[in-house]
Amino acid sequence: MNIKEIISSGLLELYATGTTSEQERKDVEQWIAQYPEVASEVKEISTGLEAYARVYSIAPAAGIKEKIFAHINATENGRTAIITPITNAGAKIIDRTTFWKMAAAACLLLLLGSIALNIFTYSRYSRANGDLLIARQTLGTIEEQNKIMEEGMSVVQNKYSVPVALKGLEASPDAAAKVFWMQNTGEVFIDASNLPDAPQGKQYQLWAIVDGKPIDGGMIVTSTKGDKYRIQKMKTFGKVEAFAVTLEKEKGNPTPQGPMFVKGEI
Amino acid sequence: MEVIQKYNEDELVLLLQRRDQQAFSYLYDNYAPALNGVIFRLVGDKSIAEDILQEVFIKIWNNFSSYDPSKGRLFTWMMNLTRNLTIDTLRSKGYKKQNKISGDENSVNDLQDTNSGPEKFDTMGLRKQLENLKPEQRVIIDLAYFSGYTQDEIAKETGIPLGTVKTRMRAAIMELRKILQFK
Repeated sequence: MNIKEIISSGLLELYATGTTSEQERKDVEQWIAQYPEVASEVKEISTGLEAYARVYSIAPAAGIKEKIFAHINATENGRTAIITPITNAGAKIIDRTTFWKMAAAACLLLLLGSIALNIFTYSRYSRANGDLLIARQTLGTIEEQNKIMEEGMSVVQNKYSVPVALKGLEASPDAAAKVFWMQNTGEVFIDASNLPDAPQGKQYQLWAIVDGKPIDGGMIVTSTKGDKYRIQKMKTFGKVEAFAVTLEKEKGNPTPQGPMFVKGEI
Repeated sequence: MEVIQKYNEDELVLLLQRRDQQAFSYLYDNYAPALNGVIFRLVGDKSIAEDILQEVFIKIWNNFSSYDPSKGRLFTWMMNLTRNLTIDTLRSKGYKKQNKISGDENSVNDLQDTNSGPEKFDTMGLRKQLENLKPEQRVIIDLAYFSGYTQDEIAKETGIPLGTVKTRMRAAIMELRKILQFK
């Protein structure tokens, strides 16, 4: 039914007089909620019926109101507010103080409880948040280390990877290093973790021996924290006979000047 | 009678939901005469009517939370409550449900104009105007609104086919509304 049909159906009139069936009542209530026009029509019908009922008003006897209020106040045990009814203009005796004091006290108690709970919760939240940040940082570091390890492992595991052990020489018999040379691409990686720390202002330099001559293979990073243990990518050589590491000035030299630390042939 | 404070319906409902006794006092002053008149129509006895009226107002107070303003006006709700309680009382006390409609008019008219609600109606004038309402229209409204008859019972009582009760009711109430427009 559209709104017009609803209004002209007569159902709204039945609803207002309380004569609808259960289903009709539900329908009308739904229409009232759905259509403002229907709601206002029902209101107008009810207003008309109310006026009609008022035409036949009969004032009840004076004592009835008192009896009703007496009954209500007698059954309102839990409440301390007592208002004596009046039929004419007059003062009402109101005793609400106790009730409101109790209510205010209860409110204050609740408020304090709520504040305490808030503080407790906030401190727990802050601590948890701090813990979370630390955990994230730790995880980040571990992920970073893991990535480095994986890179290193991929170099070692590569099937074209040719490992070259560089052995310690007179300058440092205990020193050692490993070079991985990729047969297919010529890429060179070095694991410098067994070289002693380079002194201040000095740096290790890798040399590739090609046709008996040393060619600069790149600088080995040992100064930056942690980088010593990392397998580092060096310059690429398609053809090489041996590798050697010397200690040079920072940023290196075009030809080897300093003492040779380790050497190994392919 | 002087009215101390006047509430519109929304305010009144809100205060009653908060169990404000002053608002309830106002509610009584404003609606008791009309509801008492409704009860009297059904029971035909002043003192029984007043007994029921007490029960009605106690029930309004105790059950006010069940009133839903979105579903209809406050008076409609109170009217339904009043009518149902009156009919239940009549049944439980072994009263025979009588068709009071035909005799009503005289018995009500015999009473003084005792309407003392805060909103003064020109009751006598309106009663005269209501004479313009066709008797068959008036009967259909009264059976439904005052006596709480079902559509089925109305059809049987008046001889109107059940299918046309709705449209007859609409026509009757439209006529009523026209008559009761206060100007």
